[in-house]
Amino acid sequence: MPAVQLTAVSKTYRRRGRPPQKAIDNLDLLVESGGVHGFLGPNGSGKTTTIRVLLGLVSADAGGGEIRLLDQPVPQGLPDVIGGVGALVETPLFFPGFTGRLNLQLLAEAAGVPKSRVEECLELVDLSDRADDRFKGYSLGMKQRLGIAAALLKSPRLLILDEPSNGLDPAGIRDVRELIRRLGSDGQTTVLLSSHLLAEIQQVCDHVSILARGRCVASGPVGEVLASGGSGDVLVQVADPTAAAGILHQAGFAVSPADGALLVHSVPSPSEITRVLAQSGLYLEELRRVTPDLESAFLAITEDHPAGSGDQA
Amino acid sequence: MSAVVERSEAGPADPTVRRAGFGSLLRSELHRFRSRRFIQVVLAVAVIGWIVATIIALTQFGNPSDAEIARAEQQISTDVASMHQAWEDCQAHPEQGPPGVAPEDFCGPEPTRDTQRLEWYLDKAPFDFGATGNDGALAFAALSAVVAALVGATWIGAEWSTRSLVALLFWVPRRMQVMAAKLLVLVGAAALIGVVAQAGWLAMSGILRAVEGSDNQLPHGFWSDLLQTQGRGVLLTVIAALLAFGLTNLVRNTGAALGIAFVYLIIVESAVRAMRPHWSPWLLSDNAVGLVKHGGNTIYFYDGIPDSTGFVPQVEYYLGHLQAGVYLGAVTVVVVALGAVLFARRDIH
Repeated sequence: MPAVQLTAVSKTYRRRGRPPQKAIDNLDLLVESGGVHGFLGPNGSGKTTTIRVLLGLVSADAGGGEIRLLDQPVPQGLPDVIGGVGALVETPLFFPGFTGRLNLQLLAEAAGVPKSRVEECLELVDLSDRADDRFKGYSLGMKQRLGIAAALLKSPRLLILDEPSNGLDPAGIRDVRELIRRLGSDGQTTVLLSSHLLAEIQQVCDHVSILARGRCVASGPVGEVLASGGSGDVLVQVADPTAAAGILHQAGFAVSPADGALLVHSVPSPSEITRVLAQSGLYLEELRRVTPDLESAFLAITEDHPAGSGDQA
Repeated sequence: MSAVVERSEAGPADPTVRRAGFGSLLRSELHRFRSRRFIQVVLAVAVIGWIVATIIALTQFGNPSDAEIARAEQQISTDVASMHQAWEDCQAHPEQGPPGVAPEDFCGPEPTRDTQRLEWYLDKAPFDFGATGNDGALAFAALSAVVAALVGATWIGAEWSTRSLVALLFWVPRRMQVMAAKLLVLVGAAALIGVVAQAGWLAMSGILRAVEGSDNQLPHGFWSDLLQTQGRGVLLTVIAALLAFGLTNLVRNTGAALGIAFVYLIIVESAVRAMRPHWSPWLLSDNAVGLVKHGGNTIYFYDGIPDSTGFVPQVEYYLGHLQAGVYLGAVTVVVVALGAVLFARRDIH
């Protein structure tokens, strides 16, 4: 059963005095149950709007498209599954005059969560000592941690986190990532992690979906997406790089120097390089395909689908 | 946040939440209401205000000596004689009045001893509960309505300004349920404020009677009239709270809502009374008085085209309890329902 399924979903914002803006454009998104699914895209690509649509805060355009959350249609079936969905969308939304504990207790009461779970979650995010301080006195990182605690309060089957590392110090970021990884691997929780931090997605996620201009332009296991966005570049180390560059150039390869080695671009088959150089009496010391990182893949993919100039997230 | 990685036992297990009922939400909203600092401050200020008002009232009443009463009676006799002379002169010269108006209408009723009240002639009159009971209930209803309006406005306004209302929707996605819970809590709280305010009036008048009260017997049917006035005062308090809530929910900002209310009460109503006096029966403040005031509210205004002598006839319009209550109720329902429907249908960011 997919945790999240969007099929041909669109959302258009009408703007006074300006043309309507399509924040989501015929979006298809599938998040299978279990694991951590990254949700990546440049600013204005529609990530947060997608999350708001999923949570019923924003209605999708009428007349087409299907949204399912934990196998229930949204928004009609949302009340039936909301008890299994925890969410932190953008900044944590709490009453500033209330203590951290009281803010969580009020949410727990509204949803029938036992009080003991509040204490568990406060401890989980290391806020027990400051739980009786008012929320407005919290640092940005503490606010974010309280937001994560609130999202975990329901022991959710689906945890939706929108930029959870915002405001956290390096140790906090590491801990949140550990937590997300652990939740994703417990076999019961699906984590949908929206982040602009490519490294975070690469470190934490099993799967990733990349959004550009409100459309999903790539989706799948992180490794596959990396490969699909890879450059096909190959690093070649030989004793005489100048001679090798000339030979490869004559053979039709695009070559550039790289720190005493050569970078041969867009090589469909690296064995061809071996053959060409060996025929000229040059023998390889090293031949290695350059592994693309997510940043390269992301840029490659989104350059194919340039983002709109709007700022709707 | 090292605990994050150390405490695996606190991670998700089976979902703790299934589907909470409306009762859970109502309890949570009640808890939230009780915990709101601004509401606590407003109610505390109201209590302090009552104490101060009682102390000031004690200084305004007194038990006059027989000599003071005799002097006052003497002054009343002199004044009544003087007023009676003026009234007789008026009756004798009807041509001085506007054409077509009978002298008895122009000159007013005949002045007698009964038209003058003893306390007007005393520096400190004794407190007369029988004479002031209903007016006091009206005044306390007005004050409790103001307090309840502040509470109603901040109750929903702060939820919008902090966006904690949005956070609640992650837990209770049925928006009308959320709105209904907040409204129910507010209605209960406003009714309590209204009842406590009227009890405050009874307590204040009890203190004033005990310390500086007159020996006058309470008029026949006094308690029945007073309790009815107080009941309508409680109703006005609830209506004020709901109106403020509804308006704030529409504009989604407490300050803006209170600003609109201020502009309406001070500027719009004054402008209407000056420029369109025949619209007065539709003004909220006149209807509020009509709802609560014992015997209803009779509005007098000058309307129509002046005749050749420049005389504009006076119009008398009676606003009864029922009419005022239905009108205020209808306005409240429209404002609250509009805000609730927009909340249920609009995108929330």
